[in-house]
Amino acid sequence: MKKKILVANRGEIAIRIMRAIQELDYEAVAVYETPDKDSRHIRLASEAILLGDGPRCDYLNIDKIIKAAKHTGACAIHPGYGFLAENPDFAKACEDAGIIFIGPTSKVISDLGNKVIARKIMADAGIPMVPGTPNLSAGDTGVQEALSFAAQYGYPIMLKATCGGGGRGIRLIESDEQMHKEIPVARSEAKAAFNDDSVYLEKVVLNPKHVEVQIIADKEGTTLHLGTRDCSIQRRNQKLIEIAPSMIENKELLDEICQTAVKAAKASNYTNAGTVEFLIDKDFNYYFMEINTRVQVEHTVTEMITGIDIVRTQIKLALGKKLSFSQEDVQLRGHAIELRINAEDPQADFMPEGGKTVSLYRSPGGFGVRLDGFAYQGYTIPQVYDSLLVKLTVYGFSWHETVSRVRRCLQNFDIAGPKTTIPFYLNLLQDPDFIKGDFNTSFLETHPQLFEYKETPNEAEKLSKLIAEIHHRGKNIYAF
Amino acid sequence: MERIIQGTAPSEVVARLRNADGYFITNTARDLSQSDFKNRILLHTDLLAAPSREKAGYFSLEITGGASIHVDILRKQVDPFLKLELLREKMPKTMFQTLCRGINLFGYRPYPQNVIRFTVREFAKYVDVWRTFDCMNHVPNMQAVFEEVAKAGKINEPCICFSTGPEHTDEFYVKKVGAIVDVTGREIILCIKNHGGLGSPQRIGQLVNAIKQSYPDLPIHYHGHNTDGNDIGRIAAAVMNGATIIDASDSSMTGFYGPPPSLTVIQTLKELGYTALGIDENAVIETSEIISDQRQYYAAFESQIKGFQPTVQIHKLPGGAMGSSLEQASKGGFLDKMPDILHKELPRVHKELGNYWSVTPGSQILWTTAVANVQGGERYGNPSGDLRNLLLGKYGPFPFYQPEDWIYEKVLGPDWKKVLEEEGGMDEIEDIDLEQERSSLEEKIGYPPTDQQLILYLQHPNDAVNFFKFEEKFGKVYVLPPSIFFPQGQFAEGSTLSFTDHLGKEHVIEIGPTMVNDNGESSVYLNVDHHQRIYSFAPEAKPGVAAAAIVLSKEEIQTLAKNGDIRAPFAGNICEISVKEGQEVAVGDQIAMMEAMKMQTPVVTAIAGIVTTLSVKVGDALKPGAKIAQVDIDE
Repeated sequence: MKKKILVANRGEIAIRIMRAIQELDYEAVAVYETPDKDSRHIRLASEAILLGDGPRCDYLNIDKIIKAAKHTGACAIHPGYGFLAENPDFAKACEDAGIIFIGPTSKVISDLGNKVIARKIMADAGIPMVPGTPNLSAGDTGVQEALSFAAQYGYPIMLKATCGGGGRGIRLIESDEQMHKEIPVARSEAKAAFNDDSVYLEKVVLNPKHVEVQIIADKEGTTLHLGTRDCSIQRRNQKLIEIAPSMIENKELLDEICQTAVKAAKASNYTNAGTVEFLIDKDFNYYFMEINTRVQVEHTVTEMITGIDIVRTQIKLALGKKLSFSQEDVQLRGHAIELRINAEDPQADFMPEGGKTVSLYRSPGGFGVRLDGFAYQGYTIPQVYDSLLVKLTVYGFSWHETVSRVRRCLQNFDIAGPKTTIPFYLNLLQDPDFIKGDFNTSFLETHPQLFEYKETPNEAEKLSKLIAEIHHRGKNIYAF
Repeated sequence: MERIIQGTAPSEVVARLRNADGYFITNTARDLSQSDFKNRILLHTDLLAAPSREKAGYFSLEITGGASIHVDILRKQVDPFLKLELLREKMPKTMFQTLCRGINLFGYRPYPQNVIRFTVREFAKYVDVWRTFDCMNHVPNMQAVFEEVAKAGKINEPCICFSTGPEHTDEFYVKKVGAIVDVTGREIILCIKNHGGLGSPQRIGQLVNAIKQSYPDLPIHYHGHNTDGNDIGRIAAAVMNGATIIDASDSSMTGFYGPPPSLTVIQTLKELGYTALGIDENAVIETSEIISDQRQYYAAFESQIKGFQPTVQIHKLPGGAMGSSLEQASKGGFLDKMPDILHKELPRVHKELGNYWSVTPGSQILWTTAVANVQGGERYGNPSGDLRNLLLGKYGPFPFYQPEDWIYEKVLGPDWKKVLEEEGGMDEIEDIDLEQERSSLEEKIGYPPTDQQLILYLQHPNDAVNFFKFEEKFGKVYVLPPSIFFPQGQFAEGSTLSFTDHLGKEHVIEIGPTMVNDNGESSVYLNVDHHQRIYSFAPEAKPGVAAAAIVLSKEEIQTLAKNGDIRAPFAGNICEISVKEGQEVAVGDQIAMMEAMKMQTPVVTAIAGIVTTLSVKVGDALKPGAKIAQVDIDE
């Protein structure tokens, strides 16, 4: 009987992981909550376990997932991103149950997941960092601590959930008044999302570039990097577009950042795949931000330019293999761009379009095109999960070629039902600053014209809308 | 003799007409559409007919003007300029002709001079022959159009509107022709506009002859209608007395109130020794054959009453108004009173109001007055604003005599003399600020309009904006054949509709099932180019049953918020309520927190005041626009 690996996630990343599992000739086990019963990740798995009615709480339920793994006889669990991916208790529970957790050890997750401990490790290793506070004390004392930090370093200041990540639980604070108001909100959101209401502060580096380094390490201490990614284009601190490698022209600087990332990973005894995130200010000073102890949404761009299957490598390392390649084997070639095609209305502040049915789904193809998605025609987007429908990752030999290929792919995409970020991206791809590779995290705020677009359905779509209405009414009300 | 090709200089065209050894034919497709199909013949059908009509060698194709421009945007959802452009591509040699109501352009009320000139200039890029008339035959009302047409290097075809009765003498009309050529000069075509198809062949022959006697150089274009079934008689008499152009159209589409069939005209006049110049008879026949099977799809627009109406000689309604009058009677439920209205009241009103020409907009005034007189009880008891304007002379002076005093008194009131003195006479209409109109249109449609869009807007502000929005939503729908555009009931499930879009791409739409859910919402399944698509429609409100909750738009939600009516801006759950009823709040205060897809968003108040109602509790799942709270200003 084939060995099984359980995927403790949903949506596109569950499918991405299952592909690697199946390519390694293992069987994939899916888990799901009731609102996800029509999700495609279930169909692609060999077997599936219903965790409960959710929403979200069952994907976050460690006991249920461990039980599902034991029940199906899975030897390992891949947590994907989000949910339990960076929860040290989950990694610990796997370790205790004799199930391989595909990721770093619970100790590493715990250390790096706690932003305060992480900062100490990095400080000791001499990694450059942005000024910040330890966890704020509870209640009003914490607010007073925050206000005195603000008095010392000045606004703006970032208020962060200690257990947060992936852009969640982060708030930009610009005044004492706002600090008063937002600390409780951030705490309640953190409590709901991570079951821990700790928050801390960090001085904001104004309009930085967000550059991160993919690292990968085996248990024998070999730690490699797979180059940089630029994730500066974000909305509400959530990434929209990621590119690899960074467009910073100074190659020595990028190399230095990569070496620093390796150093940071080694300092924390890191194993498996992870991401070291940096902020780079306008003078090209770089600051350590955090290490994400999981596979990133945007890992696909690194895969495209290195040719290395990160998820496959993750599984092999977790199963006890050594890295089969050296730093010299890692060659960066060309450029890759990933766009998150979300069911959202960018013109309504990216309001999610959950609850809508995808009435048409046609995707592009061709050279250099990769799709990681799970939507299909007839799929109703559950309201209770995130709005990512599909990631479009495009490779090109030159930057210009990549940009024009992305544009072509978006023009070939045909999704009807929910509004999506596609027309917004099409507009963005025409922006001269984007084309030049000149962007930082303020890109969306400083380019409001990106939101001035019109969705133009093609003639067939328009005409069939009229025909549907004529048919429905049995007459053409626009002609009588 | 050869046909006249589009692009020939006006003076050359007039010269060719002067020396014509036969007669030319104008295909009045527009007048046929207006008179017999309530203006609904689609561009799709005209494009089908275009190659053979081009080959047929008509003097011109009358394809725009009259009420057609309004109906193009209102009911056919086609851009009147695009229509001319597309037809021109298929018909490079044929001159296009319009019917223009002078100061009233293509509408019913007078326009400012700058609007008239701007409109004529733009249409003149496509239209070669400009037939212009005024319902009072008041030449100054046509002058601006004459000038712009001449400036554009196109052909002026001024009309004398024709009618019958003791005042309508040859002497009167010859004098009128003199008044026209005094303004236009002799390089024109003169049209005898017999919009009702009135008078006998003998009467028309006489009139043509009388004009020819005084103005032998003036080419005459006879325009008639076949309402009494005898227009071919009048056409023959006109040609025999020297008219060089006549109006007719394609036989397979001819009805009762529009032009007669061109082939019958050709055959009749051939026997009499008159040649239809430039005409290819086979192409005339071919055109009719090509469009004949389209007629069935226009059935709903044909007259409620079938048959010719020789009584037109009594009621004198123009052909273009017959269909709409009968439709109005049918919809208004007074079809049974039509004999009374048409044969008694209308002739009486016509006579009482000065026996002017029953043609737009004058014909509408006569018709509505007659209907009101019969339906309303007291004659002239409920006068329309237009009748008042007619009596005040806003349309021009009465040509023969003024209505009697008692009518003035009925319409203008007891001190009618004073009213007439103070308000009477034609108004000087001031130019409007076109740039201001342009920016107000831009505001309505959200992008800078083209000149052509502005022109349509100036003519019909609301209908033009609706049309632009329709096109944005549904595309260029002229590509749809009448079988799809004017369906008779639902399409059969499993049937296939095919068409080629504006960009030349072919499409196939297969009609799938329609599902109705518990809320009465219908989902229509279509296979569009072999891919399934679903279109949802809210249930239609039934009388007596409360309509389904209306989903508010973002703008509506924002507008309500300014009144303290706080609504859910998106679909989501209430995860926190931040205020209590009776609590005082300031602008920007958080009322509640909503969560959707993991993001928490505060709902704040846009006004300061007191929270008077809280309509939700924590955990409620809200649809967009659902009521959250009411904040009232603290008085």
